[in-house]
Amino acid sequence: MTSFTSRWRRSLAAAALAGTSLFSVAAASAAELVVWCWDPNFNGATMQEAFSRYQAEHPDDTINVVIFDKAAMEQKLQAQLASGSTDGLPDIVLIEDYRAQKYLQSFPGAFEPLNSHIDYSTFAPYKVELATLNGQTYSLPFDSGVTGYFYRTDLLAEAGFGPEDLENITWDQLIEIGKTVKEETGQILLPIDPTGSDWIRIMLQSAGSWYFDADGNVTIAGNPVFKAALETYQRLIASGITTPVSGWTEYTGSFTSGKTLSTFSGVWMTATIKANPDQAGQWGVAPSPRLDGVEGAGNASNLGGSSWYVLSSAPQKEMAIDFLATIWGSDVDFYQKILVNQGALGSLLAAREGEAYQASDEFFSGQPVWQNFSDWLAEIPAVNYGIFTEEADAAVVAQVPAITSGGNIDDIIAAIDAQVRQQTQ
Amino acid sequence: MSKSLALIGRALTYLALSLAAFVSIFPFFWMVLGTTNTSADIIRGKTTPGGALVDNIIKFLNSFDIARVLFNSFLIAGLGTVLTLLVASLAGYGFEVFRSRFREKIFGGMLLMLSIPFAALMIPLFMMMASFRIINTYQAVILPGIASIFVIFYFRQATKAFPSELRDAARIDGLKEWQIFFYVYMPVMRSTYAAATIIVFMANWNSYLWPLIVLQTNEMKTLTLVVATLTAGYTPDFGVIMVGAIAATLPTLIIFFLLQRRFVEGMLGAVK
Repeated sequence: MTSFTSRWRRSLAAAALAGTSLFSVAAASAAELVVWCWDPNFNGATMQEAFSRYQAEHPDDTINVVIFDKAAMEQKLQAQLASGSTDGLPDIVLIEDYRAQKYLQSFPGAFEPLNSHIDYSTFAPYKVELATLNGQTYSLPFDSGVTGYFYRTDLLAEAGFGPEDLENITWDQLIEIGKTVKEETGQILLPIDPTGSDWIRIMLQSAGSWYFDADGNVTIAGNPVFKAALETYQRLIASGITTPVSGWTEYTGSFTSGKTLSTFSGVWMTATIKANPDQAGQWGVAPSPRLDGVEGAGNASNLGGSSWYVLSSAPQKEMAIDFLATIWGSDVDFYQKILVNQGALGSLLAAREGEAYQASDEFFSGQPVWQNFSDWLAEIPAVNYGIFTEEADAAVVAQVPAITSGGNIDDIIAAIDAQVRQQTQ
Repeated sequence: MSKSLALIGRALTYLALSLAAFVSIFPFFWMVLGTTNTSADIIRGKTTPGGALVDNIIKFLNSFDIARVLFNSFLIAGLGTVLTLLVASLAGYGFEVFRSRFREKIFGGMLLMLSIPFAALMIPLFMMMASFRIINTYQAVILPGIASIFVIFYFRQATKAFPSELRDAARIDGLKEWQIFFYVYMPVMRSTYAAATIIVFMANWNSYLWPLIVLQTNEMKTLTLVVATLTAGYTPDFGVIMVGAIAATLPTLIIFFLLQRRFVEGMLGAVK
């Protein structure tokens, strides 16, 4: 039977090939490294830069960086891993940090642990933690989403606030500032997208908490940080210092056009803000605010970020690991270059000793923004993103209308908790 | 009195039609406008022409190997369309013209298969292509779409209008069955073929999910995949995306306008 099937298969394949074998493209030469990622100007460009440095020592090797839309790449990778066929998979793939555990736990054996090749103590601890499963770490930590509070210095100054007023403040202090700004100049401080959950991710991690604990158990009901986050969000909305925006374009358009004065986001937002050269010198960055009255609350948090993973089936596995370890794992100069060219803030802690990290940025009113960000980076509490972060996000977003309209927070938490538990069973 | 009422009625009709036209045309207008503006201007909601058109086009052309991508797209869509029309029209013709005890059962079974969503077929199909060792080839994209049940159904319905007298006459003149199909049926049904060409070409040209899954390298990507790539990343350049969107829309528009008259005939099922 088996021989029949395989013969049938082979003849069918042969027929198919004969029928339309026109211009099939042969796989390239032996030492070509294939990488999948999702941003030609950001992670794709940094990967190219990294490899051109590696090439100096290995002139015969080449790299093929394949760019996909992020959601598309995830779908593709997931479909292919699920099919069990490793044909055509890349050597290295970029995975968003929030999804790391989902991939590691859903496809055991698909990714290569790198503990014996990489010294993880040189990277930001929270980045290492999120890619660790059963004592093995699988990632080469790449860009961090260390958060900051981005604000228009010129417009806040009109209401009498300077950078020193925004250093290490709480959310409630920010609300007071927003109210004063509104009274003095009539302007709105923050855009908030009610269909997004960025704010809760930032608030939770800033206090070392998440939807799940280290063992993956749901920690929503009875979690004081979660409750404080929702209450803070409710106060933010009720104070009238925010304006609702829908979708990414309207959100970024709001603060880059001056309709709103600030936003809290990951360091990668820098590129979007700096895409408006006419606003040079009118921006500043402070640490993101911390939660009031919560134990362990800090001003350092994270939003987004991604890391490189080597596939166990990689045709060029040895080379991929050697490349990641030598360039990404230790080349401080490389990190200076991608900071300047791509605005990429890597997770290698030693990078902050380099020249580019030391420099101040004229766009941000001469503040030493990179030094600041790398300070905050080292302070980000490690949490377990688990495998159901998206489901939990969706449960939170579903309750945003209830929070906004002043609903009872305990009831809302119970509803979120129930939905998450139902989906994670 | 009734005249003025009719006038008001007409005015209202035109108002409604104008509104509908505005709603359907504005996105196109906005897309064309977007090609002339910088990304920052588009985000700010600028609705006047800007001066960034050349810049956007250059950036679009530089972001990938445009000749290769167009070649891939045209080859996959073109060859896919020709093969699909050939196979599906043969099948549709056969189903309608030749009688058999199992005909309706098989056809019913095929129609049932239309209801299986592609997401359910994707992974098995991928495994199949992997076992044929044709991942990342044109045939992997083209083959699964050739026996399109929808197009077979469409041709069977259209064949109902094909006069059996023509077939009988051709038989009396001594034509074999395959000759009847190629020399009599195909020319007579050209409107149907034209309509099917538009439908199949558009479907192949816009096809996204399957090519995404089965094509692996930059050299094999189609225009649809590349335009999707433009939206990737943290700071998408909307001006360039608009150029890409227009580049991806133009071929189907051109084909539609070329075949428009026949398309309408074909949809009406006209046989001369």
